[in-house]
Amino acid sequence: MLAFIARRLMIAAGVLIAASYIFYLLAASSGDPLEDLRASTQRNREQLVELRTAELQLDVNPALRYFTWAGGAAKCLIGQCDLGEDWRTGQPVTTMLGSAMGSTLQLIGFASIFAIVVGVAVGIVSALRQYTGFDYGVTFAAFLMYSLPSFFVAVLLKQWGAIGFNDFLRDPVIPIPALLVIGAVAGIIVGSALSGSWPRKIAIGGTFGLATAAILGALSATGWFLDPRLGPVVILVFGLGSAYFVTFIAAGLNNKRALYTGLAVAVIGAIAWFPLQEAFRFATVWMVLGVLAGLIAIGMVIGKLAGGPDNRVQMRVGGLTALPVFGLLFVDYLMSWWERYSNSSTIGGRPIATVGSQTPQLAGSGYWVETLDTFTHLILPVTAIVLISLAGYTRYARASLLEVMNLDYIRTARAKGLNERTVVMRHAFRNALIPLATIIPLDIAALIGGAVITETIFGWNGMGRLFVESLRLVNLDPLMGYFLVTGILLLIGNILADILYAVLDPRIRVE
Amino acid sequence: MKLGRSVKGIAIAAVATLTLAACAEESGIVENTSVTAAWNQAFYSFNQNTTNGNATANANILYLTQQSFNYYNDDLELIPNTDFGTYELVSEDPLTVKYTIKDGVTWSDGVAVDAVDMLLHWAALSGNFNQGEAEYDAETGQIIPSDDVYFDTVAIGTGIELVTQTPEIGDDGRSLTLIYDEILVDWETIFTSAGLPAHIIAQRALDIEDAQEAKDAVLAAIQNADGAALKPIADFWNTEFDHVSMPSDPGIVVGNGAYIVTDFVQDQYITLTARTEGYVAGPQPSIETITVRFIPDPLASVQALANGEVDITLPQATTDVLEAAQQLSGVTILNEPESVYEHVDLVFNGEGPFSAAAYGGNEETAKLVRQAFLTALDVNEVIDRLIKPLQPNAEWNQSQIFLPGSPGYDEAIAANGSEAYGQGDADGAAALLEQAGVATPIDVCFLYGSNNTRRVNEYQLYAEQVSQAGFNLVDCGSETWGSLLGSGTYDASLFAWQSTSTAVTASEATFRSNGGNNFTGYNNPAVDALYDELKVTFDADRQREILIEVETILWDDAYGITVFQFPGITIHNSDLGNIKPSPLSPQFFWNYWEWTAPADAE
Repeated sequence: MLAFIARRLMIAAGVLIAASYIFYLLAASSGDPLEDLRASTQRNREQLVELRTAELQLDVNPALRYFTWAGGAAKCLIGQCDLGEDWRTGQPVTTMLGSAMGSTLQLIGFASIFAIVVGVAVGIVSALRQYTGFDYGVTFAAFLMYSLPSFFVAVLLKQWGAIGFNDFLRDPVIPIPALLVIGAVAGIIVGSALSGSWPRKIAIGGTFGLATAAILGALSATGWFLDPRLGPVVILVFGLGSAYFVTFIAAGLNNKRALYTGLAVAVIGAIAWFPLQEAFRFATVWMVLGVLAGLIAIGMVIGKLAGGPDNRVQMRVGGLTALPVFGLLFVDYLMSWWERYSNSSTIGGRPIATVGSQTPQLAGSGYWVETLDTFTHLILPVTAIVLISLAGYTRYARASLLEVMNLDYIRTARAKGLNERTVVMRHAFRNALIPLATIIPLDIAALIGGAVITETIFGWNGMGRLFVESLRLVNLDPLMGYFLVTGILLLIGNILADILYAVLDPRIRVE
Repeated sequence: MKLGRSVKGIAIAAVATLTLAACAEESGIVENTSVTAAWNQAFYSFNQNTTNGNATANANILYLTQQSFNYYNDDLELIPNTDFGTYELVSEDPLTVKYTIKDGVTWSDGVAVDAVDMLLHWAALSGNFNQGEAEYDAETGQIIPSDDVYFDTVAIGTGIELVTQTPEIGDDGRSLTLIYDEILVDWETIFTSAGLPAHIIAQRALDIEDAQEAKDAVLAAIQNADGAALKPIADFWNTEFDHVSMPSDPGIVVGNGAYIVTDFVQDQYITLTARTEGYVAGPQPSIETITVRFIPDPLASVQALANGEVDITLPQATTDVLEAAQQLSGVTILNEPESVYEHVDLVFNGEGPFSAAAYGGNEETAKLVRQAFLTALDVNEVIDRLIKPLQPNAEWNQSQIFLPGSPGYDEAIAANGSEAYGQGDADGAAALLEQAGVATPIDVCFLYGSNNTRRVNEYQLYAEQVSQAGFNLVDCGSETWGSLLGSGTYDASLFAWQSTSTAVTASEATFRSNGGNNFTGYNNPAVDALYDELKVTFDADRQREILIEVETILWDDAYGITVFQFPGITIHNSDLGNIKPSPLSPQFFWNYWEWTAPADAE
């Protein structure tokens, strides 16, 4: 294995060096760094041209100029990176890359987690309900999203998700016909995802749809959208629901010890609401993370204490249940700031933002306001990326699970009388994840360098924007910095995918 | 759920910090008024006079934070700002100009603005103390630190370097007298401000605490040409004002203008707050805070306007942007063309169809061919099809020298004879060619930026127009057109000049026989002689007469044809009042003190 990794790294380094040379030549010939001066009527144009030519060494052929850049970049190996600077702003490329990576990781991090979790879940359900209305619907929607150009999705999201939603917030009453439509759609989605007979589908789907419409109607009537809050009761109800769901997926509802562990975590979460109202006032990032870690620890301890022959399963259920419970507590407290945030003079009742990563003049207003502000700025670009990458994950998850479900060992598992949950979750699902695990690292690496359009349209200053802006100005040093980072990430992603495959699937040897 | 009293208290305090605004004591500033503008590039330097910092993204912000002796209004007239100071032409030969800062004008830290600031500004801009050539690091492109004094100035060539004697200080240290080695009729736009605070630079560069002592040190260093003291001052001036986020040193943001930078987040926005104390250096603004958000995508800035995130934007004009803006309610769209104008130039040197050399040195034949070409072009078709959709009131720009709307333009186009061209008169053009007695079709290699869609469309229209008169336009479009200018590889070129001022002699570099921007090989002794006269003519009326004479000769020689100004669209929230876009930098910012906005309800 070590020899394999070493060999791969050597090859990767060679590829990187060769590619950087080609990239440098391409970038250098992509435009004219003197273009703005050529059409200028400034009296000292000639002097400016001379100065810039000297500064950028434009009189040296790019084929040779590359080596001055490579010399600086090579110093990275001895820890003294010199990637040059943006000639316009004089900012070192290393700092630019740092800040661009920071904002890209924030965007891509949220988007990837969301896309993977939802994409895999939807893919699995649609595989289990192969050739049903749900499956066809998901396939249709996935391909629709996949084929939409991202600039189009982005502009539509801004129009409806931000401008439209903010207009709605001025008088947040959902009209009755809209409620009925939303209820019907929700009912159809749930109904079609269920297994079993038609009456069962209609009954459950219909109930769900009606409930959705009724709850939305009640929320709209009480002005909840302007001052949302969950409260301990709702947190308890949703927490108990999550406990059931997590137990069902991870252990099976027959495992009573696991179920009780989950339920206990939900109850503790609801009780924790009261002290947290005081504690959260002094929140920092670390404190919030501490609360999360604490809840997970409590869940695992309860699982451990519940005893029984296999308390690892219970610990898992306890820990996993803590996640949604923490989410509920966090969102609930965040909501308590919503009205104040939304009505502040800088926001002016239009909370969802279309551009940038923060509202001017909000910095220093405390953890909750800043977090809310980050979320209102993140929601649209994240949605845009999720909508597009969701399709891929859904398709991969579906195809891979279908393939596994048709294998002999699944038939064996069924034949020996295992229930369907165990067959799917324990035997099929895990193996179905193997191909996904090899796609994800590459996908994320590609996204980091490739969210160009989304970043540009949403004014999000990440790697993609860095690339576009530098290319526009034929700003070679930042361009090469971008190439170096995304190139290395892609190569690492590639190696990681190979190694992961070997680790997950013992049949694969990487020698 | 009811919140406890203490929670509420904290909440109120937090909300207050969101909206807290400095109390405006003096009249003029209206509390809780704010304007958010969108700009396509981030601010990055508090010093716009270095080769790095010289960009509109910086100039706009610095226009709000630094005052100057004069500014351009939206009619492109240069207006003196006597609140800041006065300047007078003491003598024409030698050219002597005296600048006096008005008593009571202060930097935002309370220190007086005086002649030492101006002296340092001169020392920096002129590069007079620069020793040796700057050497740039081969890897980073940065100036290599050396023992030499080097101000990395962008102004060399503008005329300020011709002030080689150290200027005299007078009037209790408030005035500075510049004596130029040559006569420069554009003296009004060469030296226009007090530059950066000298005391701030010296305090940091020379490690002095007291502001007055710091000023004295700058004065001594410059008057004694003390390289040891000037070196750290120059180094500080070159690099220490470059910031991409809020500088930790409050001295960097010190300015003498109406606003001061109070918040600056990298790649996101910069916020300026009106000075409440001690600002007398210009008209009082009424807006309390101005925030400039950096939004590169034109459509994104329009949607941000729709969502109330910005109040005013000047997006790159495209039909998408205009249509999006037209659908919004409560916004005002202002059409003001940019100071960039498209023009077709014909090449005089070489062996091309427009050069005399092609006809055995017969100037007359070449001129007839040029006139025929320009007669065959139809600028109105181009404007109707490509520009009017963006700017319904677009008109043909008929002057090679005056920007439309600037003083002198109307007079110039009445006299310059331009109306003979550009009307798509194929028959007239054919007649001219017949008179010239040259064989048709004539191949014309036409250079333009092939990566620019609008220019590709223009090329196609022109090709069609001139083909009827007997010209065959050959596609010499290139993505690297800029580096091909003046290379002699083409016969006609299409590109745009960008004006940055209305300087009288700005056109000289283009039309003089050895001018730096003369890419066509145009050589007319009469034009050169007129420019010689212009360079020593201080009388504005005579200046204008000379320029109109030059124009007339240019059109008669069929130098080329100007086509249109780039359309510009300023879109703003209708709540804002008195927005008057100007074609020159700082565009719509120029009259910030006249802006009005409703106060935020709170």
